[in-house]
Amino acid sequence: MRISFKWLQQYVELNASIEDVAATLTRLGLEVESIELQGKGLEGFRVAEVLEVKKHPNADRLKVCSVLPAAGQEPLQIVCGAPNVAAGQKVILGVAGTTVPHNQHDPEGKPFVLNNATIRGVESKGMLCSGKELGISDDGSGIMVLDPSAVPGTLLTQHLGLDDCSLEIGITPNRPDCLSHIGIARDLAAAYGVALKMPNGTLNEDATRPVTAVTSVEVLNAADCPRYTARVITNVTVKESPEWMKQALTAAGLRPINNVVDVTNYVMLEYGQPLHAFDMDRLEGKRIVVRSAAAGEVFETLDGKKHTLSGTELMICDAARAVAIGGVMGGANSEISPSTTNVLLESAYFLPTSVRKTAKRLGISTDASYRFERGIDPNMTQHASDRAAQLLAELTGGTVAAGIIDVYPSPIQPRTLTVRVNRVNAMLGTELSADVVRRLLTSIGIAIKEEATSGTFTCSIPTFRPDIEQEIDLIEEVARLHGYDNIENKSSGEVVFTAPDLREQRVTELRRWLESNGVSEIITNSLIDRNSAALFSRDLVSVRNPLSAELEVLRPSMLATMLQTVAHNFNHSAERVHLYEIGTVFAAAGGTGFQHYVPGVGERSVLGICLSGDAHSLTWHEKQRKVDIFDIKGLVTSLLTGIGLDNSNLIYYNAPSSLTEMTIGIEINGSYVGFIGRCRPDILKRYKIDQDVFYAELDMNSVISEGRNKRYREYSRFPKVVRDVAFIVNSGVSVASIEQQIRTSGAPAVTSVTLFDVFEGKSVGEGKKSIAFSLTLNATEKTLTDAEIDAVLSSVITSVTDTFGATLRSL
Amino acid sequence: MLDHSITELRDAIGRDLPSIASPDDLERFRITYLSRSGRIAALYDTLKSVPKEEKPRYGQLINALKQETEQRFEERKQEIESRATAARDAVDITMPGRMRDKGTRHPITRTMDEMKSIFTSMGFGIVYGPEVEDDYHNFEALNFAPHHPARDMQDTFFVKDDLVLRTHTTPVQVRVMKDRPLPLRVIMPGRVYRNEAVSARSNYFFHQVDGLYVDKHVTFADLKGTLVTFAKNFYGSSIQYRFRPSYFPFTEPSLEMDITCFLCAGKGCRICKHSGWLEVLGAGMVHPNVLRNCGHDPESVSGYAFGMGVDRISLLRYGVDDIRIFFENDIRFLNQF
Ligand SMILES: [Zn+2]
Repeated sequence: MRISFKWLQQYVELNASIEDVAATLTRLGLEVESIELQGKGLEGFRVAEVLEVKKHPNADRLKVCSVLPAAGQEPLQIVCGAPNVAAGQKVILGVAGTTVPHNQHDPEGKPFVLNNATIRGVESKGMLCSGKELGISDDGSGIMVLDPSAVPGTLLTQHLGLDDCSLEIGITPNRPDCLSHIGIARDLAAAYGVALKMPNGTLNEDATRPVTAVTSVEVLNAADCPRYTARVITNVTVKESPEWMKQALTAAGLRPINNVVDVTNYVMLEYGQPLHAFDMDRLEGKRIVVRSAAAGEVFETLDGKKHTLSGTELMICDAARAVAIGGVMGGANSEISPSTTNVLLESAYFLPTSVRKTAKRLGISTDASYRFERGIDPNMTQHASDRAAQLLAELTGGTVAAGIIDVYPSPIQPRTLTVRVNRVNAMLGTELSADVVRRLLTSIGIAIKEEATSGTFTCSIPTFRPDIEQEIDLIEEVARLHGYDNIENKSSGEVVFTAPDLREQRVTELRRWLESNGVSEIITNSLIDRNSAALFSRDLVSVRNPLSAELEVLRPSMLATMLQTVAHNFNHSAERVHLYEIGTVFAAAGGTGFQHYVPGVGERSVLGICLSGDAHSLTWHEKQRKVDIFDIKGLVTSLLTGIGLDNSNLIYYNAPSSLTEMTIGIEINGSYVGFIGRCRPDILKRYKIDQDVFYAELDMNSVISEGRNKRYREYSRFPKVVRDVAFIVNSGVSVASIEQQIRTSGAPAVTSVTLFDVFEGKSVGEGKKSIAFSLTLNATEKTLTDAEIDAVLSSVITSVTDTFGATLRSL
Repeated sequence: MLDHSITELRDAIGRDLPSIASPDDLERFRITYLSRSGRIAALYDTLKSVPKEEKPRYGQLINALKQETEQRFEERKQEIESRATAARDAVDITMPGRMRDKGTRHPITRTMDEMKSIFTSMGFGIVYGPEVEDDYHNFEALNFAPHHPARDMQDTFFVKDDLVLRTHTTPVQVRVMKDRPLPLRVIMPGRVYRNEAVSARSNYFFHQVDGLYVDKHVTFADLKGTLVTFAKNFYGSSIQYRFRPSYFPFTEPSLEMDITCFLCAGKGCRICKHSGWLEVLGAGMVHPNVLRNCGHDPESVSGYAFGMGVDRISLLRYGVDDIRIFFENDIRFLNQF
């Protein structure tokens, strides 16, 4: 809401600076977002008179002018290029040192400072300005010529009446009363402890012509139109409004149109009551019928747009057809034109939800609908109509027919609420007395009707405050008017113990582990396009009203958005892309791990890890290489043990999954928690990634909720013996199976088995590989003898050679 | 005769010692002269054959030679060892260490972590809720009437007629108030969505931390105290702040908290729209309608709630000038944290 500071002061006497008023408004909850001084940047410019214009001796397009800066002063010589400059004009003069707000010759229009200059050999002591240069009009074709009555030497701002300032105030949806100057003045009057002054004009009516004789109003849908009033003003002359009206509207952010429309806008900004003026002669039967639209009815609003109506809209009609969408916008068929002579003035109260539904459905938002849907005062209807009629008579020379037609079958009464002073203090943590509470509430027009028991007030809530619905709303009014700053900042004395959140700690542990191991966290968007989403799943959740087709579907997999980041980084020459993200993935049906908080949508929190590009940064001590499956496998398996989950089990799949090849499933305590693999090339191609991307995904809920009670296991206090063994086996035999065989056959003496070499080559034979393990042997109760060690080793070797057809390779 | 032998041995030792260059030479020298079967030991043997009265003199001479040799051997040995150490240390220690690649935490998570740690130390637990919500939890239970303009405050993405991408983390308040016993003191972090065009200063999703305290006798003064404690810990104890009355359907009375713009110290700049203030959070007393919707009697319990955006605060804290940079996740950006 844009407020004129000058206009505001018609209703409240403020002996305070604009800054103080702005701070007060903000403290009242009417946040001042900006203060705009009119004429800002025009301070140095004055009215001047052109005395004489001569040709420039050295340039055809330039003129040399003699300009009078002020009566009694020496004329100045000024070189001017404007085609329209002529002797006798009153013009705008800027002299050396003044900043011109807009440079017409600069592509960006940057401001510049005037200097005395010599232009083509002729001295120039200033500049005559165009409206565009000063930012007061769009016309840059020539200098701005002022009214002949302008007095040379006068400040331009003073001449133009630019001595007002505008306040931009953020009005929250609960305060429709403050969408007007009077509404804001009311709160200010309360805050400054001064009286609110309502406008006082005298409305002269033509007693010989009662309004009922010239028109009638019939309301067929009283539910959506609880009150409708009409007045008639005849013999109006449509023309430009006077300066004061134009300045007031401009300062409040509205463009003046003509005196009739301006009056309706002025009264709307004054009282908050939207009004509509019809050209009465264009109303069939010169009467009004308020009804619901017919389904399929087409209506053209005054902005020239045609709307097909659904049947629920409230229409203002004449005897034959619709002439306005109630509370939203008037029709082209009845709008005020320069030739209008008779006006029917509507002032009504429309049901907020009805106006809102209509405005939403038709996609129209006007100053009127904005106010109606928030709820105007149903009992202000006639005051606003009277005020507008009075101004119309004054500004248009028209005659006001006597009386008003007021269809208001069920008057809306002020709400009655009870407020308990002890409740006020209990909610706010204050110790306000009953007198203070009473004073604060009455200061904004709330009538306190009785005080049945001490400390309990019965309040009559004026109908301009539809937001005050219950006791708590009155408590808020007390808090607001008392001042939030005057309420203590209480630091709770009591100690509240909250047990540490183990799940939260585990997430932190996991993040730290990944970051310490060179993996960086990313945060990606959760909406993607449908085609990309289809690569990952058919079980999708999509948004009905997306911003764009690129952001239509909720990600079914973390990989879907992580790959966007991988691609971005490779496109920007990254070499090592090691990333993780913890976030939500979505599915309509959703399998294991998905939680259905609402029907039809499953959500799951997952950890995604992508490793791609170089395994490590370039160093002098390690050979450069690309990441491979063992990087991600090693990362994930050591991550799991690193955060205390040492009971994971890996499952090796032969076939590719929908996302990855070389897929390894991960189980913890027998339940599936995630997988590791290399992204499928068809998916990578879609993201235009031409490097391998290794991906792991873990279900966060499983990872952080699995128990990990640490228990001590006895370790041997006797010397350990380390022995290396190597086998030659067929290439198809897996290392994991041999390792498992060694563990089983060597138990319990073999306490650890570590693969340390794998070798394929001619020396071991075609289709064969050599696999070398380092075995640690010891016992908890004694030192193993050489004979015992040899016995264990020989049983391990026999077991492996028998099971896998392996041969022992001498080391 | 013996005099001659002693002199000869001293000369031999004098010649051999300087030529010792390695641990092997040292050992050879020790065996030759100082071992039990060495040449000095052999001199002691010849002592047997000298006349009795001359024995003390020769004994002293041999002892002196032995002591002198041992001392010179020890000195030489140390010299050789220190030379070996020097040789071993002859590397260029200005070469870089074997560095580990570092991973970083996203700045938004960093901000969120700080908020969490302040609130948990103030006794708040942490709860999460779904990102796809029904109209009931996102709006209706929070006192947003159907067809009320307050709904315009939050442009909404719809999944179905009554399913939305949550526009705030506040619906989690409804879930915890229904599910958990009082007193309730929790924060609710998470991702939220608004159907707004993407620009340098706003995105269609962002992150919030909501807070809730419901108990007997919770007051507006308690709320203000909690917020001031948070702000002083999070933004620094020297900040100035102000509370403004505001409006949220789910709280009454409602407030917004501003702090002095820390970029211009309150003088006014582009970031604070020349007001000198930055809006950092919204809060209020839980509306009686909301308490009732969640099964609590507003006459016997009261509560406060607050909510703050994480992304915009991160933007200001880290001096990032375009919110989209956060979600581009360029490694050159990530590596700075
Ligand atoms: Zn600033």
